[in-house]
Amino acid sequence: MTEQNIIDLKNITVTFKNGATPVKAVDNVSLAIPRGDIYGIIGYSGAGKSTLVRVINLLQPPTSGTITVNGQNLQQLPPKALRQARKKVGMIFQHFNLMKSRTVLGNVEYPLLSQKITAAERKQKAQKLLALVGLAEYAATYPSQLSGGQKQRVAIARALANDPEVLISDEATSALDPKTTKAILELLEKLHETLDLTIVLITHEMQVIKTICHNVAVMDAGKIIERGRVASVFTDPQQPLTTDFVETSTNVKAAIERITATVKVDELAADQELIYFNFIGNSAKQSIISDLAQQYKIDVNILFANIDQIDGENVGYMIAIITGDLAGFDQAITKLKDNGVKARRLSQPKGAD
Amino acid sequence: MAALIPNVISMQSEFIQATLETLYMTFFSAIISAILGLLFGILLVVTQPKGILEDALTYSVLDKVVNLLRSIPFIILLAVISPLTQFLIGTTVGTTASLVPLVFGIFPFYARQVQNALLDVDHGVVEAAQSMGSSPSEIIFRVYLREGLPDIIRVSIVTVISLIGLTTMAGAIGSGGLGDIAISIGYARFENDVTFVAMIIILILVFAVQLIGDWIVKKVEHY
Repeated sequence: MTEQNIIDLKNITVTFKNGATPVKAVDNVSLAIPRGDIYGIIGYSGAGKSTLVRVINLLQPPTSGTITVNGQNLQQLPPKALRQARKKVGMIFQHFNLMKSRTVLGNVEYPLLSQKITAAERKQKAQKLLALVGLAEYAATYPSQLSGGQKQRVAIARALANDPEVLISDEATSALDPKTTKAILELLEKLHETLDLTIVLITHEMQVIKTICHNVAVMDAGKIIERGRVASVFTDPQQPLTTDFVETSTNVKAAIERITATVKVDELAADQELIYFNFIGNSAKQSIISDLAQQYKIDVNILFANIDQIDGENVGYMIAIITGDLAGFDQAITKLKDNGVKARRLSQPKGAD
Repeated sequence: MAALIPNVISMQSEFIQATLETLYMTFFSAIISAILGLLFGILLVVTQPKGILEDALTYSVLDKVVNLLRSIPFIILLAVISPLTQFLIGTTVGTTASLVPLVFGIFPFYARQVQNALLDVDHGVVEAAQSMGSSPSEIIFRVYLREGLPDIIRVSIVTVISLIGLTTMAGAIGSGGLGDIAISIGYARFENDVTFVAMIIILILVFAVQLIGDWIVKKVEHY
């Protein structure tokens, strides 16, 4: 029980026959998830992330590839053993998937019905789980009377009933408002700490990844296009799609759109440029602006700035109009790059006009 | 009263007898059809493409059997099925003999209704149960039948009401019952009051079924 990776997917491909043309929902993906991690998979809808996580508990059998969970190759297990293995992988869903014919307590008791324990023990365990998610007093109500956030709490309690080692969250916060999302994520983080859970979380919101994940994989068109520690992927995205996610979650994207719509780029003077700066780590604390002004004689007029903390690292974003010696600015930027500052022109470089 | 329904007054015992025959036919064919219909309906849902026990051959055979049986007009089914009735009951006429065509006339209809009721059970809930390691039989009994119960009761009401309608036609093979009285006495002898009263009793039965059914649905539904 000491394997480092609790989940190990190797060369997973899932092909759906959609009429005459087969569609590769997941395309040769390998993914290892360390025990005790909170691993995020982000991608737009249709990227294949839901299909990929369903491969983990074999709800979706892959067309090819191998699945090892907790040292067991799931594909080699007979049906009964597979069902036992599934009990160790809890799952929560975007639409909660509670049974409306059962009370809140009944829903949490459901996974325990197939265990050989007395009705009293079952009820006691379910009540303990409801208390853990903060819904002890709702035991006798029916799911239809609960809010979205409360339903998801019930679903979490139900997913924990079999004492799983892994919890898969399939867009679990996507149907919830931001405040409820935050509360659910806090609950997941608490459970991760107190129950030694490994959490695999898929989402299309970078905010969710930023809030609780340690590692992240970015999926697009069935492939993982980028992966790593959340802090490094966030601060130094390599792929355009990742950059897109990062900029959306930090409001930079909206700011760029707003600014480029209001600042007429061609109305800028010959010695002016619109620049997007990106600071990482300690550079966020350095006095870049005054350096530019003093050493390079460049004025910086800030239009937008934001500093965020991701996994303990400072990440800063700034959009500014610079005025002055543009040739000197290029020099300055090459130098600043070593200190973790990146700059990108939003205005077209002035050509031969 | 005697002026309004003169012939009915003199036929009281026949009416009681006919009502009991209708109840007898309805009750027993309903019980047998419920078992067959639930079995077929459940099998259709679990063996369908992407079902929890996907099996293309079983699904296709059941689907065709249900379609075929549903296509035969009941009045013809009454006659066509008589060799099977002879084999099962030992006679082709009478109240008990009518149970065979009644069951074959109604259970495919019920199977289809049960299938639709179960298809309305949220697939996400079924998937959640699978993710919790539930076996196919656990999913059938603890998820499909339980979550689909209000709809199953609703379609059962519709089915029993249809079945009461079919029992009136079974008079054609000498089954007795209220339909038989209405046609072979009321209609044939121009005793319109007999036909009318037979209809009223049938309507009372139908309303009673509807009321009891609605009351049960209210008890089991939680949304």
